[in-house]
Formats: sequence, structure tokens, C-alpha cells
Amino acid sequence: MEKKVLLAEEQPEFGAGFLKALTMSPADVVNLMKDSGIRGRGGAGFPVGFKWELASAAVSEVKFVVCNADEGEPGTFKDRVLLENYSERLIEGMAVAGYSIGSSIGIIYLRAEYSYLMPVINKARERMTANGLLGKNIQNTEYTFDVEIRLGAGAYVCGEETALLESLEGKSGLPRNKPPYPVTSGYQDMPTVVNNVETLCAIPHIVLNGAHWYAELGLGECSGTKLFSVSGDVERPGVYELSMGSPLKELLGLAGAVDVQAVQVGGASGRTVSGSDLDQPLSFKGLPPGGSVIVFNNSVEMMGVLENFMEFFVHESCGQCTPCREGLPQLQRAVQDIVSGDVGSMEELKNYFTLTEVMKATSKCGLGQTAANCFVDIVTGFAEFHHENYQSHRRGSDE
Amino acid sequence: MARRAEEIVTEAVGQFGNSRESIIQILTRVNNELSYVPPEAVSEIAAVTGLTEAEVFSVVSFYSFFSSRPRGRNIIRICSTISCAMAGQGEILQALTDEFGVEPFETTENNRITIETTPCIGLCDQAPAMLVNGEPHVKLTPERACEIVRRLK
Repeated sequence: MEKKVLLAEEQPEFGAGFLKALTMSPADVVNLMKDSGIRGRGGAGFPVGFKWELASAAVSEVKFVVCNADEGEPGTFKDRVLLENYSERLIEGMAVAGYSIGSSIGIIYLRAEYSYLMPVINKARERMTANGLLGKNIQNTEYTFDVEIRLGAGAYVCGEETALLESLEGKSGLPRNKPPYPVTSGYQDMPTVVNNVETLCAIPHIVLNGAHWYAELGLGECSGTKLFSVSGDVERPGVYELSMGSPLKELLGLAGAVDVQAVQVGGASGRTVSGSDLDQPLSFKGLPPGGSVIVFNNSVEMMGVLENFMEFFVHESCGQCTPCREGLPQLQRAVQDIVSGDVGSMEELKNYFTLTEVMKATSKCGLGQTAANCFVDIVTGFAEFHHENYQSHRRGSDE
Repeated sequence: MARRAEEIVTEAVGQFGNSRESIIQILTRVNNELSYVPPEAVSEIAAVTGLTEAEVFSVVSFYSFFSSRPRGRNIIRICSTISCAMAGQGEILQALTDEFGVEPFETTENNRITIETTPCIGLCDQAPAMLVNGEPHVKLTPERACEIVRRLK
């Protein structure tokens, strides 16, 4: 069900959530997040309260709060809308995170594609500073916090949190081995909380309205609301905010999807859902709720969509680990061969599916582990005619 | 007259510092002003940060917004992801490459324009879209895209 909180017309005053947090103990703020059930809204869904608790428990003079503003999943643009309109809320959320874990430094990692939003975010920071919400001894407390903005330079993999940290350190964005996790050894090996833009924007609302209120916004076991970027074959593309756990069908209704052959949910790395299967919920246990939803009508050639996704992943693989670097070009070639009817045998086709399993099981980061999802979904769900191609090809070669 | 790479690096170091953490910000300045990162910039950044040239160059080559080859004064990045592709990105790319006589990732002879394709730029709700020197242009038609690029210096 549509439920506007982050995008509500009536918004709480900027800073009110942070000021309320300052009257609580840091441990109470962490507990509030745990009780609210909020999970990371970037896609991975790690429980926020638990992440903050771990960072809070890490002993260090210096800790960091990093905002992941590197949404690069094809089809997602919700964080852009939040940055354009709610940068103050975002920085406020970072200040609350910093207070609860004992950090005085926040860093916003902004994707290069959004560099034109720098002035908007800078202005938000200035306004927060002018209102005594950032800087030294905020509101005459012991607490000091400020944020800086750093640009990325165009790399999808940097949305992965450890690749992002490498990039912040001035290196190529190659994902790290985990453990250690960023909460104990993150930016410059210091304890670091990395949260997505949408997650951080939700924090002040939770502080103001309480854990129970937030938990109740979701359906069933789910907590809170969720933003979805809808594009493709719909009448009203845009960002929609719904209760977490809402069925995909409802979102499509809001965006005006009439003719639906398939929906790509969760971006290129997500799942491809058939138009006859739209009752599934968008949740961490259901369809991936990362935020990207692309609708394809019946005129779209789904194998063409798959070629587009494969080209994307081949380009964006960082090249560090073999299953991803070598597996993706193989799958890309497989797609071309399936389309042109050049897959020689069922055995060959099976080998490609085995390869997808290997990539999922052995790639180092989320990119390689999920990049083959679209191959599996589209080839199995939308490739009947390819089977015919394959048959005729076989007949041809037998003669 | 374009500034020398060393001058841009010195100015950026003044703002961001000379630690390794700063190099992507420094490289961004050079890349934006000169449209690419020339070897002199790599040497200068290596010298001021204490990194090797290879370490700096590996960063230049990793990120797709950086280029180690000269490009035109204006960089056009056309989104090639599926939502833009379905909304007519192909025709826009075709119109631009026809009008300016270059293939993607090539530069016009007068060094005015480089046309590139790029993965999702987060403007799918207003597809097809492109970035011109980092600024977004949305809901493009082939005519409008050409008009925007024609007006560039």
C-alpha cells in the first residue's frame, strides 16, 4: 500500500530528529534502531541497529560514518530524488549515526554521474551548520560532527561497500575480503558504518516517531516503507513509496503498467518476473526490494534485454576474481549464440547454467554472485523460441 | 588557453591535500578541465603524493569517467541502459554520430566533442537521457539532442 514518509508532503522540521537523539544515550539510539527492525535500504538488507551496535562496540579514537550515494543499479534513481530534495534529512541521519557509534566524521560518497548534485548537498550542509546542527560541540554538548562530500569516478562495483571504501582511500574499487567487516575495520582500517542514502533519510523519522511506529509501517514481518524507482513501459514512471512487503502488482498499478510481459525487479542483478506472476511481495524474503523496477511490455524482445544487461556486467566487472571476470564474457557469448541458434547441444546449454552456479558460489562480491541471475531467469523463462531455433539448428546440422 | 596539468594539480592539492585519499578528487579536477588525464598530471600527482606513477595510472584506468587519451572539450555521455534504450537511445546516438561524424568514444577533428555511451545515469524516469559535461539532459529526441550539442562551444 502506498505510504509516504520519506516523501511525505508534511515533513518534520530539519534537525528535530537529531536534536531528540542528542537527549538520548547513544546506546538507546542503537536500541531504537534494533527495535524498529530497519534493514539497509541499499539492497543487502543488513539490520541497521546490529551494524551500529557492532561499530559502537569497536574501540577506536576515530570512527567514520559513510553514506553510500553511489546507486548505480540499472533502473534505480530514488536516491537521486532524495539527494535533490532531502539532503538535510540525509545529513541529519548521518549525524544520528555518528552520535550513536561515537564518530565525528561523516563522508558522503557521491557517484560521478550525480556530480551536478554537489551544490545542493553543499547547501544542505551549510544550512545545517548555520542552524547549529553540525560542527564542534553541537548544541553545547560534547558531540562534534561534520560531513564532507567526495566524488566517485564512474564504477558500478563501488556501490559494494568495501569497494566504496577502497575508492574513498584513493584506490581502484576492488572489493575487499570479508571479514574483517567495515564495522571493525573500514575506512583507513577504522570502525566504519556504511549506510545507503535511503536508510539514512529514514533514521530521523524513526527517532521522532519511535520504533513501534516504524515497524508498523511495513506489512507482516516487514518494517518501514520502501522507495521504488519505476521505469520502462509504464504510464507514470517515477519514485513510489510503499509499505515494505507490498505486492509488486500494487506498485505497477500506481505507475500505470498496462501491458506487462515481464518486470525486472532489483535491477540488472535482481530477478526477472513474468507478467503472470505479479502477486509476489517486494521484501527481503520476496522479490529483491533494492529499488529498481523496470517494466517490459509484450513487444520487448527479452533476449535483447539480456544482451544489454550482459554488456553492462562485462563492462563493470572489476576483474579481480576469475569467476566474474571470465564467466561474464562466456555468458555474453552464450546469449549471442542462443539468439543466433548457434548453441550446439543441450549439453552446452547445461554447461552455461553450471557456470552461473559457479559464479554465484565463488565470486568474491555481490556483483559476480548476482550477475548471472538475469541469464538464468530470462533464458529459462522467456526463451521457448530459442529452443525451436536450437531444434531447427540441430535438424539442419544432422542432415 | 588551457592551463597546464601541473598547475591544476597544485591547485587541487591545495584544496584536498596530498594524501592518497585525495587522488580521485585531484584527478577529477584535471579530467574535468582538460577532458583527460595527461601523463604530466600522473607524474605530478605521483610526485606530490609519494605514490608511484603506476599506482596513480591504475586508478586513472580503473574508473570510466577518467580518460588517459585526449578527448574533446565537451564530453557527451549517452545512457545505454535498458530503460533509455527502450525509450529511443539508439536513435539519439545515431543522430549524434551522424551529425558530428564520429563513432562512440571518438572525438571530432576540431576537438570540440567526444561522444560516449555510459551505463545507467539514474534518469530512467525521464528517458532517454544524457550528461553533457556532467549536466543532465532528459526526455531527449534526436533533434533536441543534436540541438543541445550544436550549441556547445
